[in-house]
Amino acid sequence: MNTRLAHLRLALRLLLRDWRAGELHILFAALVIAVTATTAIGFFTDRLQRGMVSQSAGLLGGDLLLRGARAPDAQWLEEAGRRGLDHSRVLEFPSVVLRGDDLQLSAIRAVTDGYPLRGELRVAERPYGEDRVVNSIPPTGEVWVEARLLPLLNMEVGQSLELGSVRLRVAGVLAFEPGPGGGFFALAPRVLMNQADLARAGVLQPGSRVAYQDFFAGETAALAGYRDWLEPRLDPGQSLVDVRGGQPTVGGALERAEQYLGLASLVAVLLAGVAIAMGARRYAERHFDVSAMLRCLGAAQRDILALFLPQLLVLALLGSVLGILLGYLAQGGLLYLLRELLPGKLPAPGPLSVLLGLLTGLIVLAGFALPPVLRLRQVPALRVLRRDLTPMPLSGWLVYGTAIGAMAVLMWRYTGSAALTLGLIGGTLAALVLLALPAWLLLRTSRLLRPGLGATWRQGFQHLWRQPLLSVSQILAFGLTFMAMALIALVRGDLLDDWQQQLPAETPNHFVVNVLPEQLEGFQAFLRARDIEDSGLYPLVRGRLAAIEGEDPASRVAEGEETPGAINRELNLTWSRQLPSGNRLTEGHWWPADTEGEAVVSMETGLAQRLGVGLGDELRFSFGADSLRVTVTSLRSLRWDSFQPNFFMIFPPGLLDDQPTTYMTSFYLPETRKGELAVLMREFPAVTVIDLDRILNQVRIILHQVTLAVEFVLVFVLLAGFAVLYAALQASLDARLHEGALLRTLGASRRQLRAGHVAEFGLLGLLAGLLAALGTELVARLLYARVFDLAYGAQWWLWWSLPLGGALLVGVAGVWATRRVVRQSPLVVLRGL
Amino acid sequence: MQNGPRETPIVSAQGVGKQVSTAAGSLEILREVDFRVASGESVAIVGVSGSGKSTLLGLLAGLDLPTAGRIELAGECLNDLDEDGRARLRAAQAGFVFQSFQLLPGLTALENVMLPLELAGVPEAASRAAQLLERVGLETRLEHYPRQLSGGEQQRVAIARAFAMTPAVLFADEPTGNLDAATGARIISLLFELNAERGTTLILVTHDPDLARRCQRTIRLEAGRVVSDEH
Ligand SMILES: Nc1ncnc2c1ncn2[C@@H]1O[C@H](COP(=O)(O)OP(=O)(O)O)[C@@H](O)[C@H]1O
Ligand SMILES: [Mg+2]
Repeated sequence: MNTRLAHLRLALRLLLRDWRAGELHILFAALVIAVTATTAIGFFTDRLQRGMVSQSAGLLGGDLLLRGARAPDAQWLEEAGRRGLDHSRVLEFPSVVLRGDDLQLSAIRAVTDGYPLRGELRVAERPYGEDRVVNSIPPTGEVWVEARLLPLLNMEVGQSLELGSVRLRVAGVLAFEPGPGGGFFALAPRVLMNQADLARAGVLQPGSRVAYQDFFAGETAALAGYRDWLEPRLDPGQSLVDVRGGQPTVGGALERAEQYLGLASLVAVLLAGVAIAMGARRYAERHFDVSAMLRCLGAAQRDILALFLPQLLVLALLGSVLGILLGYLAQGGLLYLLRELLPGKLPAPGPLSVLLGLLTGLIVLAGFALPPVLRLRQVPALRVLRRDLTPMPLSGWLVYGTAIGAMAVLMWRYTGSAALTLGLIGGTLAALVLLALPAWLLLRTSRLLRPGLGATWRQGFQHLWRQPLLSVSQILAFGLTFMAMALIALVRGDLLDDWQQQLPAETPNHFVVNVLPEQLEGFQAFLRARDIEDSGLYPLVRGRLAAIEGEDPASRVAEGEETPGAINRELNLTWSRQLPSGNRLTEGHWWPADTEGEAVVSMETGLAQRLGVGLGDELRFSFGADSLRVTVTSLRSLRWDSFQPNFFMIFPPGLLDDQPTTYMTSFYLPETRKGELAVLMREFPAVTVIDLDRILNQVRIILHQVTLAVEFVLVFVLLAGFAVLYAALQASLDARLHEGALLRTLGASRRQLRAGHVAEFGLLGLLAGLLAALGTELVARLLYARVFDLAYGAQWWLWWSLPLGGALLVGVAGVWATRRVVRQSPLVVLRGL
Repeated sequence: MQNGPRETPIVSAQGVGKQVSTAAGSLEILREVDFRVASGESVAIVGVSGSGKSTLLGLLAGLDLPTAGRIELAGECLNDLDEDGRARLRAAQAGFVFQSFQLLPGLTALENVMLPLELAGVPEAASRAAQLLERVGLETRLEHYPRQLSGGEQQRVAIARAFAMTPAVLFADEPTGNLDAATGARIISLLFELNAERGTTLILVTHDPDLARRCQRTIRLEAGRVVSDEH
């Protein structure tokens, strides 16, 4: 017992000495970076994610929505209650509302107290006037209606309308209501009423068409559990919608951001881990003498461990605590900077995040630093007589096994997916093996430079050529580090561009449908007179896809695939002379500008794929009693999340002339000019305007947050990359000091030495940069296609920027790290070693 | 039979050989080395550089194992012990002084001397270490680091450390090799004083004839063989 205590005291004293002597700086810095990166990212993304999810939930109106044509079993709701979930039901049905002689088919939504569970209702005093958040539902006897209903019924706020047998006072204008799809193309104007008035109205009879919307909200885990419980019990007529399903734009952005953050934080940890491994190796090598001395003085292997493991543990704890602290501060600072954008009450990071940070520190240190330190126990005591004796090199399995094990544990924790973890680890190992060969070839090729070199430069390069194995591993280490940094930076840029493109500054924020052909000119003149730019007027014809190559479309859906909604309902068909902007031809040809009435169609690629439609296939459309046969002459891809009018089918002009047609368009109108909508409604009462501002704003906020998170993570990846660079340079410092001192006693000048270093590190960086460019091109292709669903264009700039940047970075860092070699007096160096 | 005191020897080598394999083939460093050292005896191992002196010392101290023959230290056969067993034996029976002083640069003089005491869990390590440093004349340098001490002072710290555990045998490999003549002489005097005070057996490797002469016995190595063993 006494011995143990003495050992511990001794261990702490040794640690303190090492700390003062600067032996632990790299190891400690790398550890702090790893823990800071993971905890800051962990804390931040955890909170941000919850924030983003709650924003998105605010768009949907709840965390989870069960939709169906009948009321869900009472037992299902009991189960939700048992799991602590809040519940609120909305009944939605079409019904006619009246005022005097005017009547209008409307979408009635009957809600109960507590609605909406997430997000908020906004109500204005007058149409398109300033709106405010209301924290209640309409009181009994009152309703809130969409602005466009008022002109249709020739009424104003404060007057009453009739629904079945009740009179309800219109107390306000409904400016925003969350809901699935946010109200896109909901053609009938909405009326929001209290469910308490429903029975008296008597509009719902057995057999009436009612849509049940049951919203749930609660803890993430409880929701997931409930979802799993509920899913197998649903009938075909019922479906579940979650936060992601509700909004394709937001869902997609969230998903990719999460993937990016997860990947980037893993890269940061991996890089920090490599830095730790290098630091630990140097630490171990510098402690061979101590270990041999202790062995000579009679320390057993166990005693050596008892001396060094507590040091490692203390280091891990200190590093983790500091890292967690810094991580917490970093995310706190970021949240403070973003306070305007973030939802008011972000949940505080819990003690669990702290524990996970600590665990991360321990795992990273154990995985990367333990093997070299364990090696200390095997230093032969005879080393006190023969300095050249070193312990047996570690078995590769031990070194890589523990490191891979540690990474696997962390990856699994961050990605939550065993498949992704295995894929990432396998991919990294494969990349390592695959890139070792080009690294070696690059090194070989660089020897061709030899004849053209001056003596000093050759001296520097020779360093690399003389130890090809060491050099290849250094090229690999730097190359992979640069590659990781380049990849993360590349993906970041493309994600941001992609989001930017999705929602440019003047994204149309109003959709207009139901413009009648006879009003078309007047409507366009109205917009022109006010300098409002529309996105083009698209004719709309409703029709159904009746047959593909003579077969029922439903029969073409592959077994087990979901039937596309497009074949069960009437489609919005349009015609156009030009390919609409935002559409991209993927196959076939667009028709010539003078085409009139030719029986051809251009189809959306995704739908074509799912229905097995190719160029030249014949489609039949039905319009009530009429039908039309056309040949597919082109396929188009388009972005469903772009807030532009999008169509599955586009026909050439002249083909649909006999069908009843209305027109639609979209335009951008700034907040300050909202009042003009009221004028528009008065002049064109039949026209329906759908206001998307609120949704667009919310989507923008979410994308903005995601962008910031992405930028933030990049900083840590870069920091970790620099830590690797620093650790790798430090690792070879002792040997260099010695050699430098010898060369100087032999008469080499400082300038010669420095030039040699510049040459060596410059070449090293150049080769690593070339390797990184190669690796980035390869991996980016995979990553873009498989993970991020982005298009990848060859990045030629990588091929010059990475090698140049690498040469510069490694060159400067190398010369700086070895400055002592040049500065210190040879005598001091030779005596000190 | 070798002459010498009749009691059981503290160190004995019987038919000891050491062969190592090198890139150029196998190399025989020691061959057929036989001798016994009685408790309290002082023995000098001499020979030209490369004759195998350090190798022999390492074997006797249990820092390495012979490829042939048997070595006993304090009645235990080293061949039968594993590395940790030999370490335990070293902790209990052996002290070391080397040519390059092998102090830990991060520890003060006092801490360096405390090291073996602390490893063994001896109570009041600090005061015992301080006494030893006082004995070697360094009472004013307790808190100094090795780099702040001269070569002779460093070697005195190493000697204090070697005697800290009152070892049965003190092994020294060219303890004066890095020192000037005057300093070397003082170190030698110190070694023999402590040796006499504590009844320690002294086995030292040297090519300093003065030092060898002060030992009771001299074993001469040539190309790995014992060529003479005289009192
Ligand atoms: N492990 C080893 N591998 C190769 N050669 C060795 C080894 N140990 C010792 N030698 C060689 O054996 C010879 C004797 O070494 P050493 O015992 O150190 O001699 P001394 O101390 O007498 O100068 C030297 O030539 C040395 O190079
Ligand atoms: Mg020697």
